[in-house]
Amino acid sequence: MQSVEPDEETEPVLAVEDLQTVFHTDRETIRAVDGISFEIRPGETVGIVGESGSGKSVTARSIMGLVESPGEVRSDSSIRFNGQELTELSDTEYNEIRGSGIGMVFQDPQQSLNPVYTIGNQIREALRVNQGLRGEAAREEAISLLESVAIPDAARRLDEYPHEFSGGMRQRAVIAMMLACDPEFLICDEPTTALDVTIQAQILELLDELQAERDLSILFITHDMGVIAEIADRVNVMYAGQIIESAPVDALFANPKHPYTRGLLGAIPGQQADGEPLRTIEGDVPTPNEEATYCRFAPRCPDAFDACNAVAPAHVDVGGDAEHTAACLLYPDGETEETRVSHHQSLGTPRDDTGETNE
Amino acid sequence: MNRLVYLVKRLLLGLPVVLFGVTMTFLILYLGPLDPVNTILGRDATPEDVRQLRIALGYIYPNGDPVPLWDQYLMTMRDLFTFNFGNSWVIQRNTSVVSLIAARMPATLWLGWWSVVIALVIGIPAGLFAGLRSNTMSDYLTSGGGILWRAMPNFWLAVMIAGSLTAGGAFSWYRDFGPSTDVIGTSDALGAMLGPSPFAGIPVLGVIPDPNLGNILTAFKWILPAALVLGSASMGNEIRIGRTAVMESKNSKYVETAKAKGLASRRIILKHVGRNALIPLLPVIMGEFYLLIGGALLVELVFAINGLGSMFLRATIGADVPMVMALAFIFVIITVAFNIVQDLLYTVVDPRISLEATER
Repeated sequence: MQSVEPDEETEPVLAVEDLQTVFHTDRETIRAVDGISFEIRPGETVGIVGESGSGKSVTARSIMGLVESPGEVRSDSSIRFNGQELTELSDTEYNEIRGSGIGMVFQDPQQSLNPVYTIGNQIREALRVNQGLRGEAAREEAISLLESVAIPDAARRLDEYPHEFSGGMRQRAVIAMMLACDPEFLICDEPTTALDVTIQAQILELLDELQAERDLSILFITHDMGVIAEIADRVNVMYAGQIIESAPVDALFANPKHPYTRGLLGAIPGQQADGEPLRTIEGDVPTPNEEATYCRFAPRCPDAFDACNAVAPAHVDVGGDAEHTAACLLYPDGETEETRVSHHQSLGTPRDDTGETNE
Repeated sequence: MNRLVYLVKRLLLGLPVVLFGVTMTFLILYLGPLDPVNTILGRDATPEDVRQLRIALGYIYPNGDPVPLWDQYLMTMRDLFTFNFGNSWVIQRNTSVVSLIAARMPATLWLGWWSVVIALVIGIPAGLFAGLRSNTMSDYLTSGGGILWRAMPNFWLAVMIAGSLTAGGAFSWYRDFGPSTDVIGTSDALGAMLGPSPFAGIPVLGVIPDPNLGNILTAFKWILPAALVLGSASMGNEIRIGRTAVMESKNSKYVETAKAKGLASRRIILKHVGRNALIPLLPVIMGEFYLLIGGALLVELVFAINGLGSMFLRATIGADVPMVMALAFIFVIITVAFNIVQDLLYTVVDPRISLEATER
């Protein structure tokens, strides 16, 4: 357990510590998010990147308190928003946080707007619940919000239904709706994935502007390394429910440490020499259904050795400034294999789990 | 397109449907095996009586030549479309069809109204409840009950309930419970509730000179078993369709977005889930109103209610041509009207449905 030092200047907006979200099925318990920790500071954009099934979206839903049965956020997880512990809140108390505290933009703008109400109705609803605005005041605020996300002819479009909007316009409307809640912190769960590339660039630019204007902190989830490079300040790379590398965006792209991150970056088209085929990472993300007593990436790892299947890697400093960490038995650099392995073993504190593996 | 223009267009298009409906009724009545003369006069009629009656009913000319079917048809249509329904031939000879229908209408409307309302009031919330708690024990109980309720045929359920309400039956206490009324037959309370009508003895719903609560309660108690039976199938349908619709809506992305906005779950259910779940429910609810026409017959017979359904049956068997034509005419008009109302309601409930013929 690392202790969190309170720091006046960079008091995190959001601090996630040892978040574990599990899904109970008839046969097994799936550890969709398995003990991840990260922080987001004011005005910062933190990216989470990973393949499908790595637990990115579940992380977002856990923060929003939207994990429903058969899913469950384990009780020893901690999510603190401005110092307030969220995991212990009742649903009613969580409603106070959702919207006005933390907003969320979902992947598919086609489906995240209710088809039977006008855009204006849905934005005004957010204004009323979160800011207490009603009537003409709400309408004017809604118009200015639509204008701020660059929707032309906002007053008229307010009375239109979602099906009368194009895909990019819809995502702008969703963002406007979330801004209507006036959140401090915005979670964007693959907000550009369903959009084509030019629209995607516009939305990213829009988010950038809004962040500067409103001093928003953003958690940006995507599987697209290119998008991450453009928008994030810090990046957490997720694999099978765990963060396996965490670094400032420049350090990550310039100097990826974890073999998985290297694989991801190597799999971006245009990175390889002419004529060379696109590199891929063989295999699939495993379903994390047991406690990690080994490295979950080992079966796909080109650099794996015997200890990888027996020792769970812990996060170690790989950049020299405590900003860049990776969970891999290859590090710390320059040590012998034995020292590295025993170093990880000593770091790997056995978690107070539900009893299966207690001494 | 403007809703009014659409409405006018649909009304005009409805005319041929009405014409077709009454034409088919006419052909079946006149070309079928029914013989009103026989029914009216019985077997021992003298040939002269038969001849006189045939002339009076418009089947033959006084000189003995048959009136061509085409002429009879045109005359019948002229009378119908000018709302000149004439007098009954068989059921109550020489009484105006309008007054006969008006006399039976309240019982059928009262029955139909409550069968729709009871089904709605129980079925929709039960479906909502089952959908919100899908795959829990309470859902299984609710939707299982819905399926059972849906599966019991009207006529069977009517006989079972009517039987258990009679003396010695499992529900015989129902007669002595609350205001006293018989549940089989037509209750006096209905007439009392409506009171004397200003329209020459024709009782009309809505004209209630004496809206006595006691009378209304008694009339409600009287109709409840029959209304339950008549509404049973639609109630089951509403539970099942409502459950599916709610399950689909509550797992949708827009509900998640609404939660992310910080909306309270009650508001999400009422506003976001409810409205969307209504879309597939609309045809089910509207379909219920057709019960007023077709379904009432069996229930009215079993519960011995003097309503339009049972009169329709007697008129058809007895070849009371003016009565059958008038009722068929009214029923076809009601059906066409409800179809138009349903289409208009669709555009209100779901803005994605447009009245325009060409989709974008």
